[in-house]
Amino acid sequence: MSNLGFALEGAWKVLLAGLLLGAGLPAIFALGIRSMAFGAGGDAEVDHAPPHPVGRIGAYLLFAVVLLAVVLGITFIVAGGFGKALSFEHIYPTIVDK
Amino acid sequence: MTETTVILVLVVVTALGFDFTNGFHDTANAMATSIATGALRPKVAVALSGILNLIGAFLSVEVALTVSNAVVRIQNSDGTPKDSLTSDGGTALLLIVLAGLVGSIVWNLFTWLLGLPSSSSHALFGGLIGATIAGLGWAGVNWNGDGSKLDGVVGKVILPALLSPVIAGVVAAVGTWLIYKITVGVAARFTDNGFRWGQIGSASLVSLAHGTNDAQKTMGVITLALIASGEWTDTKSIPFWVKASCALAIAAGTYLGGWRIIRTLGKGLVEIAPPQGMAAESSSAAVILASSHLGFALSTTHVATGSILGSGVGKPGAQVRWRVAGRMVAAWLITLPSAAVVGALMWFLGDAIGGLGGALVIFLVLLAAAGYMYWHSRKTPVDHNNVNDEWDETAERREPAGTAA
Repeated sequence: MSNLGFALEGAWKVLLAGLLLGAGLPAIFALGIRSMAFGAGGDAEVDHAPPHPVGRIGAYLLFAVVLLAVVLGITFIVAGGFGKALSFEHIYPTIVDK
Repeated sequence: MTETTVILVLVVVTALGFDFTNGFHDTANAMATSIATGALRPKVAVALSGILNLIGAFLSVEVALTVSNAVVRIQNSDGTPKDSLTSDGGTALLLIVLAGLVGSIVWNLFTWLLGLPSSSSHALFGGLIGATIAGLGWAGVNWNGDGSKLDGVVGKVILPALLSPVIAGVVAAVGTWLIYKITVGVAARFTDNGFRWGQIGSASLVSLAHGTNDAQKTMGVITLALIASGEWTDTKSIPFWVKASCALAIAAGTYLGGWRIIRTLGKGLVEIAPPQGMAAESSSAAVILASSHLGFALSTTHVATGSILGSGVGKPGAQVRWRVAGRMVAAWLITLPSAAVVGALMWFLGDAIGGLGGALVIFLVLLAAAGYMYWHSRKTPVDHNNVNDEWDETAERREPAGTAA
């Protein structure tokens, strides 16, 4: 296979991972903000709806998901620096030798 | 002290100088959006980015000794220099590396003067390629690899440079579009505060990843020079002082902040709002991390610029200044050949004079060029006070008078 073939093969994987993490996580974060505004009510929303306390709980759950992903991202960088890799073969992430 | 030792010292100093320019050239990649949206005050942003680069550089324990193997053939596959280049005590190899580094720094400073975010890794590779062609001929360059994996100038430098800004742009555009769709009906005051934190977090990730990726390259180059001159023998580890000085150089460069480039990326391309800033930095972080995981080499600068453009495309009604984008793309295209030309000229100059004298002369040429460009930059200073001023297209195009590329 030529360089172009290898590059395109790498590129679509990067695009896929990028869309999942780079666009997906901000979208979850945005959902969290929306949920937070739903919880706060009043001036937080354009229609000045009354506050719904459940929104706040939902927001914290969504933010937790994003935070977890960021922690995984940092673990990935640190592990890479020490010659380790993050493996997802057991579904939950584990640190293995490269 | 022998002649070789003095040349070695020059190489180390020049390499650290490159690392420093690498830092301030790339501050913008992580922090331009946070500075433009006011999520962080300019000085706080560069300090945060500098600290994270420092931490990142120390985290990179892996030895990047073979970093130049992808593009030039001056090393064996285990990272030791080719015997033919060390037979004279290493001077032949040191001159190639020194000339290459001078080419990289000169180009990095020139694009900084023009406020263009060009890739520091392209400048480094370009300089080394030029010096290698001059010193060893065309066959000294690994153009296409051997076809067994993504390798060579085409595979490791050119193709990723074409693909990565597009990938990052698509990801950022999708992210921006989703964020604006999802937060319809939420008051702007409320979203801006929330996205401010998302933006700071994602920009921090980019800074950390930058420290681990880019400081490594200089560490590899310095260690290669040490091995060539017989000062170090271990190809599996690098001296601690090399790691510490590279980490400090890149962090200090980042803290200094390339304000001209920060201004172009943060204000010139797109008027960035906090949700766009977060989408752009998340896209950059995800693309950089995913590709380093998959062994797909790319430039942080290309990714960050692609992301910021994408965040402009994805926001309904946002204005993208394609003229500024066009200038950037032009700078990307000529970065590698330009640094190569300077690197080659430096090698010819150094080789013609020969020995220590040659190395000293090209080092002095570097100092003179750097001094001139710094002096030129003071005529239209950009710093943390005016980095966020309104972007005036007509004034900006006039800005570095007489130097427009």
